[in-house]
Amino acid sequence: MTLRFKFILGVAAALMLATLPWFASPTLIQFGISTLLLATLAQGWNIIGGFTGYASFGNSEFFGLGSYGTAIAMVQWQLPFGVGLIFGVLLSVIFALVVGIPVLRLRGHYFAIATLALSQVMTAIVSNLEVAGRNTGLVLPLLNGDTLFYELSLAVLLLATLTVLWISNSRFGFGLIAIRENEDAAASMGVNTTLYKVLAFALAGVFSALAGGIHAYWITFIDPVSAFDLSLNVKMIIMTVFGGPGSVLGPVIGAFVLSGISETLSTEISSLANLFFGVVIVAAVVFMPRGLADLMRRFRKTGWRYFSENVKQHRL
Amino acid sequence: MEQALVVSTMQLLSQILVNGVLLGGLYALMALGLALVWGVLNIVNLAHGALIMLGAYVGYYLFTLLNIDPFLALPLSMAVLFCVGYLLQRGILNLIARAAMFNTLLITFGIDVVLTQLAQIFFSADFRTINPSYAGSNFMVFGVTLPLVRVLAFVVALALTIALWLFLLHTRLGRAIRATAQNLGAARLYGVEPKAIYALTFGLGAALAGGAGDLYGVVSQINPYIGATLTAKSFAIAIIGGLESPLGVVVGGIFLGVVESLTALYIGPTFVDIASFGILVLVLIFRPNGLLGATT
Amino acid sequence: MTPPPLLEIRGLSKRFGGLVAVDDVNFSLASGETLGLIGPNGAGKTTLINLISGSITPTTGDILFEGRSIKDLTAFKRARLGIGRTFQIMKPFPGLSVLDNVAIGALFGTSETAKALRTARDEADQWLELMDLSRYADRRADELGGPDRKRLELAKAMAMKPKLLLLDEVMAGLNHVEINEVIEAIKKVRNTGISVLVIEHVIKVIQRLSDRLLVLHHGQQIVEGKPGVVLADPRVIEAYLGRRRA
Ligand SMILES: Nc1ncnc2c1ncn2[C@@H]1O[C@H](COP(=O)(O)OP(=O)(O)OP(=O)(O)O)[C@@H](O)[C@H]1O
Ligand SMILES: [Mg+2]
Repeated sequence: MTLRFKFILGVAAALMLATLPWFASPTLIQFGISTLLLATLAQGWNIIGGFTGYASFGNSEFFGLGSYGTAIAMVQWQLPFGVGLIFGVLLSVIFALVVGIPVLRLRGHYFAIATLALSQVMTAIVSNLEVAGRNTGLVLPLLNGDTLFYELSLAVLLLATLTVLWISNSRFGFGLIAIRENEDAAASMGVNTTLYKVLAFALAGVFSALAGGIHAYWITFIDPVSAFDLSLNVKMIIMTVFGGPGSVLGPVIGAFVLSGISETLSTEISSLANLFFGVVIVAAVVFMPRGLADLMRRFRKTGWRYFSENVKQHRL
Repeated sequence: MEQALVVSTMQLLSQILVNGVLLGGLYALMALGLALVWGVLNIVNLAHGALIMLGAYVGYYLFTLLNIDPFLALPLSMAVLFCVGYLLQRGILNLIARAAMFNTLLITFGIDVVLTQLAQIFFSADFRTINPSYAGSNFMVFGVTLPLVRVLAFVVALALTIALWLFLLHTRLGRAIRATAQNLGAARLYGVEPKAIYALTFGLGAALAGGAGDLYGVVSQINPYIGATLTAKSFAIAIIGGLESPLGVVVGGIFLGVVESLTALYIGPTFVDIASFGILVLVLIFRPNGLLGATT
Repeated sequence: MTPPPLLEIRGLSKRFGGLVAVDDVNFSLASGETLGLIGPNGAGKTTLINLISGSITPTTGDILFEGRSIKDLTAFKRARLGIGRTFQIMKPFPGLSVLDNVAIGALFGTSETAKALRTARDEADQWLELMDLSRYADRRADELGGPDRKRLELAKAMAMKPKLLLLDEVMAGLNHVEINEVIEAIKKVRNTGISVLVIEHVIKVIQRLSDRLLVLHHGQQIVEGKPGVVLADPRVIEAYLGRRRA
């Protein structure tokens, strides 16, 4: 595919998605909103996890901070939604900088676990904050306008995706990839690893917080447990890994496909939907650890051997 | 008046400390399996808590259906979980033994989800407890109340920890396991295939989880969702204690148990998680080799 | 007034727990000079390179580069000042193409921070050519065989256009012909006026390349001087060759 063709295709897809509210049913629009937000979260995780190689379990903290920032600004201080959203993003970026600098020094499992523990700490802190409504959470003003929420979510997803597109072709992105591939070598070749990691973490935080703020206003109610829900973080990871970590469209495709399947299943039995998620994770990690993006690229050449080759490569 | 107050605060404090230590013994056993698997297979098993949960249900059903005392059921629970662990490693985890660290995290999370959902389907989401006739008995030592089951659970947990330690130090298989932690090929020197070591170690880790689960069901309520928190706590303990020896895990477990009890009493029960996970993060940042480990 | 030497090491020591891996080392390296660093296994050679490149921090002592102390600078800053290195245990970017591996050196290893990706790849192309790796440009780095990986390691460092190149056993495991090729390549770079600190176990190689030799033993520098003189020194024969023969 030529660059120009890709560009036209991308614009067409975005336009098609944008017109959806005018002919889709309300349930489909709602499904659309949650899928677009999930895709945004996945795209955010892609920056720190997919490009930089840091398995963050802290992105749900950004989501929670975005939600709470928006909710606190709107409920406690009667500020407009837009200001609340910015406040949420700001909280998130500050958190990324303050926490990121010590925590991003940790590598591998240790980083993953530190971020995981931090999300428990955040839940507990928010449950004890008066301004955040303690355990009961906050109720936001009601706005009936799913079309608006849909378009807003789409816009944020587009912004996130364009940012990732830029990253993948920039010096910054090259630096991130170098860190992922070998951090020591990257540093000794002149990559400012600390700065780049913190920037990637903060950038992931911006998009997660935007999704969190929109989600809070849309759902009109937040509480500590659901706002800092760890399984949301795991969903971002699965969608990214399923679609193709470190690619531009992988996380979006992963989010669309997995949300679609899970939605179909949950209309039948809801516990089956979760079971399905678990099975998909296991199967995806075993058979296509590099995601759909890699599968589509290589399947033509290798055929079904693709799967057995992945297994052969990683088993003992 | 003044004096009485002092005495009762002292008594309260010692009661809290004892509670914390008793809880810590069980915590240590929970973390032991996680630390073992982590050290040898280099897998942080996010399904560890789910395995503890399964062990608890095995104990529960043995008690309610067959009327087997939970302390006698312990070996059975361990045996069942050993098989589960062995098969999980052979069937699934072995397929990604050489994959990136991140994929192993993800796959064990997937296994956690599957186990939790299956438990919910088969066991329902209701809370259960293993309730033997002596569950409410206490005895007093120096004015401190000791709940019988907690003391028993503590003693059994400690005994299992010591047994594992001796096993690792003094048997050929144990040495092979320890050698494998240093170097994958090393198991061959002991005449054991590395593959077999991996499956056995994972089975052993699961068996320890099973034992811990059985005891947990006696001292606390269980449902299919207890796994996540228990995994997180096991992590915290393994990190705080360091991965080098079972002793570190015992120290880590008791440390966490005491901190949690003290926090719950003096600051508030809602601050328990801030304290335990906050400490975990601080330890990770400042003493990545554990509280007891060497500083670099 | 003579300009300061490119690199000056003053009383440098590094302690790992109870072990003193580098013990009070002093030397300097002039512009355009090549210094060979030899010593038995575990002598502290790699540790010395790690100290200069900033991978680890010294326990005591100072490192001056172009007359300025760089002891407290992070590794990436030293890289941009003009210190390029290779790793004894090679550290390629395994999932990236060979070309991009080298392009990262061109992109980040110099003081030019606004270089376009395309320019960096063009430069990388030239280095691949020089290192005879062009035909693998599009391969993933982890698909390369041993000798080619060594050459890639070298190309990555050279793409940083360093003033000082630190080479840690880049020729270990290569055969005769390959060694000659790499030596020619190093000489080519050296002719552009850069200084090289080279660690090598093969005496013939180090003799051909070095203007001067420095011998480390148990972290201490035992002899320093012209290759011919140093290699004939009985202390060196005892410390280094004696142990190797054993
Ligand atoms: N990070 C570290 N922690 C502890 N000890 C270390 C560390 N790095 C190196 N050492 C020790 O310092 C000593 C010097 O090691 P170094 O790698 O510098 O030797 P070398 O001269 O490069 O040897 P070789 O020829 O085998 O490459 C060795 O005893 C080594 O075990
Ligand atoms: Mg060395």
